[in-house]
Amino acid sequence: MMHRKGKKRTGIKLTAFLLVLPLLLTGCWNNRDLNEINIVAGMGVERTEGGKILLTVQVVEPAAIQSTSSGKGKGGSSQPKPVFVESCEGETVFEAVRGMLSVIDKKLFLSTAQILIIGENLSRDGIGEILDFFQRDHEIDYSMEVLVANGATPREILEVETDMDAIPAVYIKGTVENTISRGTVKKTMLIDLIKDMGSRGRQLAIGQISKTGENEIRTEGTAVFKNGKLVGWLGPYETRGYLFATNKVKSAIVNVPADKGKIAMEIMRSKGKINVTFKNGKPAALTVKVKVYANVGGYEGRGKLDPDHLIKLEQSLAEEVKKEILMALEKSQKQYSSDIFGFGTNVHKYHPMYWKNAEKNWDVIFSMLPADVRVDARIMRTGISKSPVKKDE
Amino acid sequence: MEKEKISGIQLFLLLLGFLFGSTVILGPAMGAKNDAWLAIILGGATGVLLMQVYVAISLLNPSKALVDILREKMGKVAGNIIAILYIWYFIHLASLVLRDFGEFICTVTFPETPMVVVIAIFAFILVYAVNSGIEVLGRLGELLVPIIPLVTLIISLSIITVRDFTAFLPVLENGMSPVLKAAFNFVTFPFGETIAFLMLFPHLNKKDKLKNVVFLSAVTSTIVVIIVFFRDIIVLGSDLMSRSTFTPHLSSLLIPGLNIEPLIDINLLIGGGIKISVCIYAAARALSQITGIDDYRKLTGAIATFCVVLSIWGFGNVLELFIWSEKVWPYYSFPFQIAIPLLLLLLSLIKKGKSPNAGTKK
Repeated sequence: MMHRKGKKRTGIKLTAFLLVLPLLLTGCWNNRDLNEINIVAGMGVERTEGGKILLTVQVVEPAAIQSTSSGKGKGGSSQPKPVFVESCEGETVFEAVRGMLSVIDKKLFLSTAQILIIGENLSRDGIGEILDFFQRDHEIDYSMEVLVANGATPREILEVETDMDAIPAVYIKGTVENTISRGTVKKTMLIDLIKDMGSRGRQLAIGQISKTGENEIRTEGTAVFKNGKLVGWLGPYETRGYLFATNKVKSAIVNVPADKGKIAMEIMRSKGKINVTFKNGKPAALTVKVKVYANVGGYEGRGKLDPDHLIKLEQSLAEEVKKEILMALEKSQKQYSSDIFGFGTNVHKYHPMYWKNAEKNWDVIFSMLPADVRVDARIMRTGISKSPVKKDE
Repeated sequence: MEKEKISGIQLFLLLLGFLFGSTVILGPAMGAKNDAWLAIILGGATGVLLMQVYVAISLLNPSKALVDILREKMGKVAGNIIAILYIWYFIHLASLVLRDFGEFICTVTFPETPMVVVIAIFAFILVYAVNSGIEVLGRLGELLVPIIPLVTLIISLSIITVRDFTAFLPVLENGMSPVLKAAFNFVTFPFGETIAFLMLFPHLNKKDKLKNVVFLSAVTSTIVVIIVFFRDIIVLGSDLMSRSTFTPHLSSLLIPGLNIEPLIDINLLIGGGIKISVCIYAAARALSQITGIDDYRKLTGAIATFCVVLSIWGFGNVLELFIWSEKVWPYYSFPFQIAIPLLLLLLSLIKKGKSPNAGTKK
C-alpha cells in the first residue's frame, strides 16, 4: 500500500515537472528574429522647414551584402542594394521612429546604429530636445558616433554609395575612427554629448561631416555649439589646435617651415592641460600648456640635420602648434564666445565660490580673458635617414 | 532554542548581500551629488555603530529573536503591538526591494514584460528558498554573494580607460547640509534595514564571532560603495550621474566594445534576492512567534504574496518610488531602525544591571 502511494506521488511529481518543462521552450517574451527586424546602421536627424523633425535611417539588408561580395564583377544590375535609406517626418524623434513603420516593412532595430548625423538647421535650433530621446531609449548604443552635417542634409550624406564599404555608415564611422592618427576632426560619442549637455562649464563641440563629391564624404573640422545651439565651425587646423589643448591628439602631422622647404613632423605623443589662473579672487588668464613629442617624418628642404638645427626645429614646431591653439582659442573666444575647451569646469572644480556667481555670464568672462599658451616641443627621432635627398649647394 | 545554525562566514556573506541589496543599482547618497563620498563615509561610520547597537541587543539577550526581546522588555501587550509593526515594516521593506528590482528589470532588460510577472516569479523562487530554511539561505549566500564584488571589480577595471579623475571636485560646493542629509539617508538605507537580522542572529553557531562578523560586513560594504561611487563619477561626471535613473547600469554601458549589462542584473538578483528572503523570513518568523504557529513556513507564501501585491500597488511609477525612498523612507524608518532599538538597548542594559538572570524567568 505504502509502496503504491509512493509510486503515485512520483507520478504526479513527474507529470508536474514535465508540464513545467515546455515553459522553457518559449524563449524570450518578445524575441525578434533577425529576419523580423530592420538593422539600422546609421541615423540622421534634421528639422524641416515646417519645424518638424525629419528622421532618416540607413538600413542594412544582410542578405544583399553577401550576394554583392560574392557576385562582384558579374555586373548583375538586378541585385538588391546592400542598404536602403528612408526618411519620415514627425513632431518628435520617437514619433518619427514609429512613423517610419508606415513606409518600411519591419521594425527598426536601433542598437546597431553606429552614426548619428545631425542636420545643420536642427543644430542651429538647438539639439537638446532631440538628444533626450537618444539618452532615454534603452536600445541606443551610447558609443554611437555623432556628427554635424555641414552643407548637406543628413539624408544626402547617408545616401552616399561608396565602393570602400558595402555599408556607408560603417565607412563614415571608419573615417572618424581614423581621427586618432589625424587629429583634425573631433571624435564625439553620444555619451560625451549627454555628459556635457547640461553643463555650463563646457560647451558642446561635435565633429563635422561634409559632402565633397557625388559619392564621397569628408569628416573634418568641428561644429561649435553654444548653449546647445550651433554657432559656427572650426576648420581642420583650428580643430587640431583645440584638440592639442584638450589633450585629445594622439598623433598628427605638423608641417614646420625650414630653410628652403618644409619639414613634416609626426606628433608621436602630446599632452595638453588647460587651466585658469586666478589673481585676487578673479580669473586673470587662460593658460594652456602643451607638451609634444615628435619625430621627423619628411624633410623637403635642404641642409643637414644637426643638433643645433634640431633645437631650432623644436622651437618652430612649438610655434606651429601654438599658432593652431591660438587660432582655435581666438575663434571660440572672440567669434563664438563659447567655452568648448572646458575652462569653466576647471573654474567650477577649483574655485567653486567664484563659479557660483560667474556661472551665468561665464561666456562673457571667458571671451574677455587673455590667453597664455605655452608649448614645449621635443624631437625624439629623425628616422632612418640623416640628410635629405636634395644635396647642399 | 534554534535548531538551525549558520556559520560566521555565512552570516557575513548574508549581511553583505543584504547591504548590497538594491544599492547595486541605485547609487546611495546621491542627494549630495559630488560630495556623496563624504556622505558615504559619514553614513558608513554611523551605520557601523548602529549595527553594533543591534549586536549589543542580541548579545544582551542571548538566543532570543526580536519578538521575544520586545515582549520581554516592553511587556506582553506593548511588545506584541510593536512586534506587529515590525512585521509590517519587514513586509514593506521586502515590497520596496521587489519594486526596485521590478522597475530595473522592466526598464532595462525586459521592457515589454508586465512587471507583475517579473516580480511574482522572483518572489516565488525566493519563497522556495526561504522555506528551505535558514541554513540553505546561508549556503546560498556563501555561493552567490562573492559574485557581487567580483562583478563590481570587473566593471570598474573595464572602464578605467574612460576617465576624469578630478570629476568629484569641488568639495562641499553646497555646504554641509546636503551631505548630512544624504549621510542620514545612507544610514537608513541600507544599514538600518539590517534590523531584520535581529531575527537571524540567534542562528549563529558561535556567539563570540557576532561582533566581528557584523563589523566586517558593514565596513566591507561601505568600501565597495565608495569604490562604486568613485567609478561612477569618474566615468559619468556629476551632472549625468545626478540625471541617470540606474547609475551603475549606465556606467556599465560605457565599457568600450563589450556589453556586460546582464552582470548588473545578476548582481541585483543576488543582492535583492538575499534582502527580500531575509525580510520575508524575518516577517514570517516574527508572525509565527506572535501567533504561536509552530512552523513559519506556513506563513511565507501568504507574506510573499502580500509583498508582491504591495509592491505593485504601493507606487504609481518609478519616479514616485524614488522620491518616496529618498524623502519619506528615512523618516518612516527612523523609529524602527533607531528609536526602538536604542530603547531596547537601554532597557536591556538596565535589566541586566538589576538582575542578570531576569531574562530567564519566563
